[in-house]
Amino acid sequence: MDMRPSIIAGKLTIYGLKVFGMKGTALPCKVAMRLNPDILKLIDLRCKKKLIITGTNGKTTTNNLINHILAENYPNILSNLMGANMPQGIASAFLNNLKEEYDWGIFEVDEGSFEDIVKYIKPDYVLITNFFRDQLDRFGEIENTSKMVYDAIKPLDTTLILNADDPMVVKFKDLNKPSIYYGVQKTNFSSMNQSVVESRFCPECNEGLEYEYYNYGQLGKYHCENCGFKNPDYKYRISSIEYINNSYEFEIGTSPGDSSTINFGYDGIYNAYNCCAAVAFARETGLKMDIIKSRIGNFDYKLGRMENFTYKSRTIKIVLVKNPIGLTEVLHSIANDERRKSLLFILNDNPADGTDVSWIWDADVETVQNIKNLENIFFSGIRADDIALRLKYSGKTVKPELINSNIEDSIEDAMNSAVEIVYILPTYTAVYNTREIVINLINSNNPKIQRFREVLRSKLGA
Amino acid sequence: MINLMELTICHMYPDLLNLYGDIGNIINLKKRCEWRNINANIVNFTVGSDVDLTKTDIFFMGGGSDRGQSIVYSDLTQYQKVLSNAIEDKTTFLAICGGYQLLGESYIDAMGNRIPGLGVLDYTTESEEGRLIGNVILKNHLGLKPETLVGFENHGGRTYHDYDTIGTILTGNGNNGKDNLEGMVYKNCLGTYLHGPVLPKNPHLADHIILTALKEKYDIDKLEQIDDKLEYKAHHNVLDLYGV
Ligand SMILES: [Zn+2]
Repeated sequence: MDMRPSIIAGKLTIYGLKVFGMKGTALPCKVAMRLNPDILKLIDLRCKKKLIITGTNGKTTTNNLINHILAENYPNILSNLMGANMPQGIASAFLNNLKEEYDWGIFEVDEGSFEDIVKYIKPDYVLITNFFRDQLDRFGEIENTSKMVYDAIKPLDTTLILNADDPMVVKFKDLNKPSIYYGVQKTNFSSMNQSVVESRFCPECNEGLEYEYYNYGQLGKYHCENCGFKNPDYKYRISSIEYINNSYEFEIGTSPGDSSTINFGYDGIYNAYNCCAAVAFARETGLKMDIIKSRIGNFDYKLGRMENFTYKSRTIKIVLVKNPIGLTEVLHSIANDERRKSLLFILNDNPADGTDVSWIWDADVETVQNIKNLENIFFSGIRADDIALRLKYSGKTVKPELINSNIEDSIEDAMNSAVEIVYILPTYTAVYNTREIVINLINSNNPKIQRFREVLRSKLGA
Repeated sequence: MINLMELTICHMYPDLLNLYGDIGNIINLKKRCEWRNINANIVNFTVGSDVDLTKTDIFFMGGGSDRGQSIVYSDLTQYQKVLSNAIEDKTTFLAICGGYQLLGESYIDAMGNRIPGLGVLDYTTESEEGRLIGNVILKNHLGLKPETLVGFENHGGRTYHDYDTIGTILTGNGNNGKDNLEGMVYKNCLGTYLHGPVLPKNPHLADHIILTALKEKYDIDKLEQIDDKLEYKAHHNVLDLYGV
C-alpha cells in the first residue's frame, strides 16, 4: 500500500504550521486523512503490538504511565501522549514520529471514535478505565456510549483489561474475550456514601445495585440481589492507599502474599486506578514488578494535566477537570491538602469541552466547604459566571472582583495571590493555554532567563 | 409570621431522572428559600419510597436515560391519580425534558411504536431524526421580568400540544423545532426542555415557582428581594454569547 502522498502532505502541513507558528495536535492530519483515509491501516501494519485505552476518565494519565513504564524495555513506541484521541490525533502522532517499525502502538481512544479506529487499528489489548458521564451532548447517555464500544469489540481478536470496580465495564465480560481484571479494594479513601449520582443499576437486569463501599463515582464493591452480578475476582489490586507528604503510597499486587509499595506523586483515588491499570498491563506484557515500581515512582507529568510548577516560592498545580466525577474527586483530593491556597476554575464551553456546562451542577461542589485554608476562589473562561454561580449555590461567598473571563489576567492574579499553593482547574480547551501562560509568567519572573533575553537582544542589536 | 413559612419540595426519582445537571434546580430552590428564611423540606421520592405525595407543595421531575425513564414509567403509573389531582388542584410542578414528556399521553419512538405516558396532560411526543442540542434563549409568556429565559436543550423527542407555552424561541429549537415555541403551562404545572439547569441562571423563573407555591399555601403575593447580581450576570453572559 503506497501511503507516501498522504504522509508527505501531512508532513508538509506540519512544517507549514511550524513555520507560521501555529500548533495543532490534530490539524495537520485532517489533510492527510482526507488524502488517504487508510493512514490508520499503515499504523496498524507498522506496530508489532497494539494497546488501545478507552473509557471516560484516566485515559491520558494511564497512557502516559504505560508509555513511561514500557520505555524501559522498548525504544520504539508510537503513542498519542498529548491526549488527541480521535483519528486525526492518532494519525498526527504517527506523522510526527515516523518510523518503519514500532515495538508497541499505545493509543488512548475517545469512546466516540473507538468504532472508527478499530476498523483499521486492530488492538492486541483493549484497556477500559470506566464509563462516566462526559460530554453528553455528543453521545447521548453513558449506556449508549458503552454499547458502541461493546459492539465494536465484538469482532476483534483481543484481550481485555477491565476495571472490575465499574459495573458498566464489567458488563464487557459478556463478550467472552480473555479478560484481566484490576481494581481497588476498600481503603481509607473508600466511603459508604456516593457523593455524585451516577449509574448504579445492574447492567444485566436493571435492578438497583447494592454497594458495600464506593471508591469513586459508581466504582466500588457492588452486587445485584436479583441476578448475582458482582465484582469479578481481581488479578491485580490495590489493597491500601496512604497519603504522606502530599504524595500517595499504594500497596499493589496480584495476591496478598505478592504485593509491593508504590509511590506516586499525584493526587487522588482516580490515580490509584490509573496506576493499577498501568501495572496490570505492564505485568501482562511480562515486565517485572521491580521495574514497574521504580518507573511509576519516577513518573513526572509533563503535559499540563497534573503538572507542578514553582512561582515566587509557591506551588502552582494544573489539574484538568472535564466531568462531574472528575471535578468531585479533584476537590476531594484538594481537601486533603492543608496548605494555604487559592483555587482558579476555568470553565470553557467549546465543542471539545462539551457545549453544555450543566455538568458542573452534577459535581459535588459542596465539598469546597471542606477545603482548609482556602483563601481565594478565582473564576475564568468563557463560562466564568456559570462556575461562579455554582460555587455561590454550594454555600461559598463569591467575590465578584475575582470573576474574569480573561484567562491570562485571572491566572496572573491567582498566581500572585499570597498563598502556598495555587490550584488551577481548567476544562479541556483551556489546559494548553493555561500551561503556556503559567510558564511564561514563571520565565518572566526568572532573573536568569530575563538576563539571557537581554543579552540576546543586545547581540541581535535590537 | 414570615419565618414560619415552609415548602415541601418533592424531587421525583432523583436516582433515575438525573441528566444534565437537573439536580441544580433543587439546589437552587432550596437556597433561595433558605436565604428568605423559608424552610425548604426536600423529599426524595423513588421506587419503593413511602411518601405521602398529597403533602407536596412543589413537584420536581427531571430527565433521564431511556433505561431510567422506563423504570420510572412502570413505577409511576400507580400514582397517576394522585399526580393528576395535584396538578388540577394547582400544585406547583416543574417537569424537565423526560419528565415533561412523561406527563403527556404518549411517546412515539423512532420505530413508530406508541409508548404510553402518564396521560396526566393531553399531548404527545414523537421521536424524530436528529437530536436538538444547544443553548436556548426564550422570550417568556409568563409575564416575568426580564423577558428572556436562558437554558440548554438536548432531546430527540418533539412535543406537540395546544396548551399555553413558556416562551417564544429566540435561539434554539424548543418543543419541536417547528413552531418556535418552548414548554407547556397548565395551571401551576410547567413543562420545559430547558436544562442548564434552568433555574440558577433564571432567578425570576425560580422565584415565580417559589411564589406560586407560597401563594397556594399562604396566600401571599410577594417575595423578599435577594441579591441576584451574579445570577443575572450569568444570564446576560448567555445573551451576549448569542448576540440577543
Ligand atoms: Zn442484576
